[in-house]
Amino acid sequence: MTTSHHLEDELSAIDWCYEQGWTDGLPVVPPARERVERFLAAAGRPPEEVVARHPATGRECGVQDAAINAVMAGCLPQYFPTVLAALEALNEDAYNFHGSTASTGGSAPVLIVSGEIGEEIGLNTGVNVFGPGARANATIGRAIRLVILNIFRMTPGIADRSTTGWPGKYSCCIGENAAHSPWEPLHIGLGFPPEVSTVTTFAASGFYNIENHYTADPDALLDTFADTMAALGALTDGQSLVVMSPEHAQIAASAGYTREDVQRYLFERARRPAAELLAHGKWPAERVSDGLAPGVDERDAGAFHRGREPEDILIVVAGGEAGGHSAFLPSWSRGRNSLYQTKPIGVCLDC
Amino acid sequence: MALELLDPTGQTPQTGYAAAARLSALDGLKIGLLSNGKVNADRLLRLTAERFAERHGCRIARETAKPNASRVADPQLLRDLSHNVDFLITAVGD
Repeated sequence: MTTSHHLEDELSAIDWCYEQGWTDGLPVVPPARERVERFLAAAGRPPEEVVARHPATGRECGVQDAAINAVMAGCLPQYFPTVLAALEALNEDAYNFHGSTASTGGSAPVLIVSGEIGEEIGLNTGVNVFGPGARANATIGRAIRLVILNIFRMTPGIADRSTTGWPGKYSCCIGENAAHSPWEPLHIGLGFPPEVSTVTTFAASGFYNIENHYTADPDALLDTFADTMAALGALTDGQSLVVMSPEHAQIAASAGYTREDVQRYLFERARRPAAELLAHGKWPAERVSDGLAPGVDERDAGAFHRGREPEDILIVVAGGEAGGHSAFLPSWSRGRNSLYQTKPIGVCLDC
Repeated sequence: MALELLDPTGQTPQTGYAAAARLSALDGLKIGLLSNGKVNADRLLRLTAERFAERHGCRIARETAKPNASRVADPQLLRDLSHNVDFLITAVGD
């Protein structure tokens, strides 16, 4: 059964949506029935089909629920298949939707779009890729947040216990800059057909800028990345999202480094001695005395690495052509409680 | 012009969970404890259970912890608790 409400006009409806608690703090586009129907037509899927389910409360998000929230976020109908694919990725057990949205760690679902759909819908892949200015980036990410708030009731201060949170929780969606990447597109690297676009969801606990302007030595450059990834405040055995600017990626590729080579290099060097982590209280003392400090016994010479294997470091080329600025986003939690997930957009590869 | 808005809080019929009936009395009941597995949650639970024991003669029938604090409790564990305790106290430590 569809629940609807009748308002006089759009301006009064915006205030009314605030009064219902249906926003992220910013004004929403009133979810008028005819707008929602255009989104459902764009998706071509049954309105009642469930795309995500909260593992703790059992609350479910159907295609129509997602469409209503995508309208409110300011999406266009052509963005909607990407929103649905992102929700399906969040729904994978290994992503750990409940923990990542409830935790004091305050993570944001970062969406990374790879493939031709980015250009088709006007997704920003270049200058200011994490910043404001592109409707597709801003509203696709926001649609996910509104579903988390309105459907799954992860209300800040009640079910969402983020200590600080971070601005990515409003919206965080980027496109891969395949045109200026020296490597094959991410979705092909992840095993998807070239003609299929994908969205990857990564539960990120924050954003670190990696600045290096004055070296053309790929090892010196990548050491800068590894040092950032091994910061005491960031180092866990969780996954990493590394967004390389085209300039930085070109320096690595010019030495013949493939994406996999960069993953291996960073995995080997993004580490610290376990004793140093123990001394700084990175694990509770009783777990260490029980020999339960995660991963330490398996590591070489007592070193503790960022992640457990090179594939835990997800590398994406994005951002403007000029500038020695890349980004490192550590996965949520003090451990390894969320693994990134990738879904095809607008197609079912298993059907 | 009138505007028809669709409710964004869930048009899909929800099949989730319902709250259990409230207990009418506590005297002599069996307590289950479920910790999130983080530091001090077990201490908090035991101290709380002691108060119920002192005031109402309750006893601890099950003392359990989740193996992973950020995951939902295992359904088998919850079934076992529901069959063997009269009420459950849970705590989040950190």
